[in-house]
Amino acid sequence: MRFFLDGLAEAWRIVIGGEPWLWQLVTVTLKVSLISTGAAIVLGLPLALLLGLGRFRGRGALMVVANAGLGLPPVLVGLVFALLMFPEAPLGRFHLLFTLNGVIIAQTALAFPVIVALGAAALREVPAGLLDQARAFHASRFRVAALAVREARTGLLAAIIAAVGSGLSEVGAVVLVGGNIEGLDQTLASAALQRVEAARFADGLAIGIVLLGLILIITALLTIVQAGRGMRRVGWSS
Amino acid sequence: MTAADLAGWPGPVAHLADVEVRRGRRTVLHGIDLEIAAGETVVVLGPNGAGKSTLLQTLGGILPPASGRMGMVGRSATVLQDAGLARRSVRANVELALAWWGVPRRERRARADAALELLRAGHLARRPAGALSGGERRRVHLARGLAVRPELLLLDEPFAGLDPDAHDRLTLDLATALREAGTAVVVVVHERRDAWALADRIGVLLDGRLAALATPDELEVAPPTEEVARFLGFTGEVRLPDGLLLAREIDLALVPPADRRPDDLDARVEQVLRREHGRRVRVAGESCSAWVETTADVAAGEQVVVRIVGGARFPTPTIRT
Repeated sequence: MRFFLDGLAEAWRIVIGGEPWLWQLVTVTLKVSLISTGAAIVLGLPLALLLGLGRFRGRGALMVVANAGLGLPPVLVGLVFALLMFPEAPLGRFHLLFTLNGVIIAQTALAFPVIVALGAAALREVPAGLLDQARAFHASRFRVAALAVREARTGLLAAIIAAVGSGLSEVGAVVLVGGNIEGLDQTLASAALQRVEAARFADGLAIGIVLLGLILIITALLTIVQAGRGMRRVGWSS
Repeated sequence: MTAADLAGWPGPVAHLADVEVRRGRRTVLHGIDLEIAAGETVVVLGPNGAGKSTLLQTLGGILPPASGRMGMVGRSATVLQDAGLARRSVRANVELALAWWGVPRRERRARADAALELLRAGHLARRPAGALSGGERRRVHLARGLAVRPELLLLDEPFAGLDPDAHDRLTLDLATALREAGTAVVVVVHERRDAWALADRIGVLLDGRLAALATPDELEVAPPTEEVARFLGFTGEVRLPDGLLLAREIDLALVPPADRRPDDLDARVEQVLRREHGRRVRVAGESCSAWVETTADVAAGEQVVVRIVGGARFPTPTIRT
């Protein structure tokens, strides 16, 4: 219990003190989380639309693969990307190993299946009759997709919250691809791990508490968007 | 071009000539010949599996014909059976349909409101779609079709799933709205009374063939085939009074309803059934009269039922022995 109290006191001191290294950690963490989630949305949403709305052979098998991606071990993803980024490996010429960009790429690979699998599941819940009606009015594919995204926004935002959460708290890929280098690519989660490994438990707990606060703030913002004014006013219809 | 631009258009809005449509290897529609004039409402009736929805999908450009010729002036819009509405207000749902159709944003609100008014749903404009009753949802759904003002509007079972009261009110309001809109319409309905309420012409689809295409009056007076007459329910059974079959021959004259002249009739006695013995007694002749060919085993007091098939609904037989 003492550790928690010490941790809370230390976290309070660090936050109030405005320690530069803390802001550095918060900045890197937000960069990794938000950029990787954004990239995963850009890459994953079209695939989620294909899987959620498409009717083609092999869709079921692709859904299984996407769902399996939710359970990807971050350490394994980190290891594979680290190996791919070695100087002689296929991605070696891009000099991504032990860089923030490398960490973002690995984190994008982890967020991608979250967006695809949870996004496709959300899009499948959009009433087929509504989309068929849009097609029967000769709506373009873009308009049908935009309608589906808007109607599935609650589920899609849940997918985004999950992806952002993974980006905020993930450690394995950051350590293996980025090297967990302080001031360069170290995030709040990987910094907490480093402090714990150095037996600085109060520091680790303090960083953890700051991380938890950050997660709460970001997910609260996304939840407010998710439960937006329009939805409360208009309500759901099938 | 819109439906309004087509007012006075001399040719058909859509025509199908000897069209055949397949689903996979199965031919669903055979040799369909159909022309739809500007402003005309054609109602398609038929049993389940006759090809009604397939015909609508073909006219809507969703299912191309395997053979035959098809032409259309302008665009068609299909209002599907499932009234799928978005999580928005009623007005926003109609505006959304206008956006799908490509109507400029500045025109959408006025057109949405006008279409809702046409279907007596103007008071629902600000209501959330999720808070509507079944009948109200259907009105909003249909208003989307009227709002886009297609050259040809296709309605797939617009009254499906409504309770009788909502059904009756919507039938009347839709009939009025379609007349006011002046759009060419093809409507698939399930109940015959809806066809009579809405149609300028009625098409009867049986086994993928257009077995009849005529005005309601023409169909009522003279359905082209016995199958069509049966499908439209122009059959009736009349129980003859007991003890009248002692005579060897009975002449059954069919008396037309009060609003029909005798020469309007194209009805005939199809069969005479002897219920008690469970055996059918053959009836000769296909005119307005018939006689029992054999009465050898018909005794006084037995009940005999005459089944009539024909144009004028349920003509009353009189017996001229």
